[in-house]
Amino acid sequence: MIKQVPLRLLAGIFALCFPLVGAVFAQSDHYRFVMVSHIGSSDANMNWLTSSMKTFEEKYPGVKTEYLSTNDSNLQSFIAILNQAIATHPDGIAVPILNSQALEPILSRAISSGIPVVAFNIPDSRPEGERIPYLTYVGGDEYLTGLKLGEHAIELANAGKAPKPVKVVCANHDATHQGLKARVRGMTEAMKKIGVSTDELIIGADPAKARSVLQSYLSSHKDVNYIFCVASWTAPWAYNVADQMGLKPKLADKGMTIMTVDDSPDALQGIKDGKVLECNSQGFWLQGYLPMEVLYFYKKMGMYPLKDVITGPVVIDESNVDNWIKFVKNIVGEEGYKKQNTW
Amino acid sequence: MRKLLKRPDVGVIFGCIFLFALFSIWNPRQWFDPSTISNISQYTAILGLLAIGQTFVILVREIDLSVGSVYGMVGITFAGLENSNVSVVVSFIVAMLFAVVIGLVNAIVVVRGKLSSMIVTLGGLFFYRGLIYVTTHGGVTGVPEAARSDWFAQLLGGHFLWAENGFLLLLLLGFICALLLYEMRFGNHLLSVGGDPDSAASQGIPVDRIKTIAFCLSSCFAGLSAIVTLANQPETSVSLGTGMELESIAAVVVGGTLLTGGKGTILGTILGAFFFTAVRAQMIALGAPPSWYVSFVGIALLVVVTINTILSKRLRSI
Repeated sequence: MIKQVPLRLLAGIFALCFPLVGAVFAQSDHYRFVMVSHIGSSDANMNWLTSSMKTFEEKYPGVKTEYLSTNDSNLQSFIAILNQAIATHPDGIAVPILNSQALEPILSRAISSGIPVVAFNIPDSRPEGERIPYLTYVGGDEYLTGLKLGEHAIELANAGKAPKPVKVVCANHDATHQGLKARVRGMTEAMKKIGVSTDELIIGADPAKARSVLQSYLSSHKDVNYIFCVASWTAPWAYNVADQMGLKPKLADKGMTIMTVDDSPDALQGIKDGKVLECNSQGFWLQGYLPMEVLYFYKKMGMYPLKDVITGPVVIDESNVDNWIKFVKNIVGEEGYKKQNTW
Repeated sequence: MRKLLKRPDVGVIFGCIFLFALFSIWNPRQWFDPSTISNISQYTAILGLLAIGQTFVILVREIDLSVGSVYGMVGITFAGLENSNVSVVVSFIVAMLFAVVIGLVNAIVVVRGKLSSMIVTLGGLFFYRGLIYVTTHGGVTGVPEAARSDWFAQLLGGHFLWAENGFLLLLLLGFICALLLYEMRFGNHLLSVGGDPDSAASQGIPVDRIKTIAFCLSSCFAGLSAIVTLANQPETSVSLGTGMELESIAAVVVGGTLLTGGKGTILGTILGAFFFTAVRAQMIALGAPPSWYVSFVGIALLVVVTINTILSKRLRSI
């Protein structure tokens, strides 16, 4: 751990220095980098990634970036577009490691054929040495997301700003998503420290089904007083179910408490309206921009960060939500914020 | 009794009686809890409406895999119109007309193009879902409070005494569809087309027109189901209706309708939707491991369909 901190710091400094050095190197290098993603147009977070890639292209005019995505975490369709991307022989690929075992043969083949790979958003969670040999990972730490949110909720409860957790249910819409599972693990770990148990409930992605499943669960698990929605767009559904069941989800020192993730309008407005306790930012803008710069400098100079570049989580609650709302509105616009807010 | 035993939906009728008795004895407090009744009846209404439409298509030896996306598309159209201050009734009419157009397109491609409905509607499933993603850019605003309190929205999504209006609507439409299927000429034609299309055509039955109506009914029921959902619960998402096509087919099959067409009942479909919903809800409520209930539901469905098939074979040989 002592060794890791300075290395992470160095990686961070390295990442921050890239934009400065970039101006010097911003000449006509004709590279084509592809980001293959599971964050599609069904997910408002795609705007962060595509907008930061646009900024990158403006700064490096000779470099072309492409964004290819599925609209869910379905592994088969993801593998299909990844294979398509590799077949076009790009100068570099950025890819989330949705499933280490499934992606390893494909990415190893790409790497050995000379295509550099940067992992973003979801890392290979296996121990170092067993991982896919990508250059580096840029993104949040999904386990830390769950852990930090859990620890922060406990702090707020201890300060009397939220109910003491008795039992937590983690509402997960996608059982195959490694990153979401890691969030659940982090939350479980945080709650274990105070002797609170957690359940993971697979609710599905359809709102009507998710509400029905959650309602069935809550009706027979009366001790549950915290719902951790591992995707922010499911938070309004959870709130509504709890509200209709008379579980008093509006924030107070008793009743049901909703926690969620990401700095999306759903999460931020939920906090602002007193319906959600907390959420987090995992630095989506950087997750689009930095992988492109890492690939660029690797192609140009052969250099890359020696450690993972961790872009989050930053915990957001009522104390800092106003600043975050302003920041997000700057990126998605007033109209975009309104449209993406499903409360 | 003999007549009852020869019904195609005999398996699900006994299955539902068994299920009702089992849950009443096992955990009566939970089973008769108003929140449980509301939850099960509301989701049965959503799935049941979707499955009634699917029943018409399956009865004519076709299948409609696009209903999940049509449900999403029509629902999001309705929510979008509500957010543009269009009246609820007008939004409803426009959204339902859209559903009719989708059904018509599906039918024309299948009937005129002589293509497999599985392929055509599979294409529709992806196309309409893609259309949702492209048109919404990932963000969908829910139905506003003012629209939800409108009398028409309340009629579809509110409740009357202890019963969800959506569930009452399901029963009413189920009754009308059963009459249509077994007491009227259209139903007779529909079952003939499903039983043997060539023979039906030789008797002057307009096979293509019957199939076209079946596809339109399927899309309309999918659209109505989405509007009932949103009138009851306003929050929506681009994932609205994801996976519903398979659940609707499961409800129809559990309800005893043959995938080979020509034989099935609306009552069986409604009971199939109830069975599917009740098993899932009670599995979770009775403490099945939260991550495992999906498998348990699958096993329960398999058991009912197997029993149904065995019963049908035995009774046919009597």
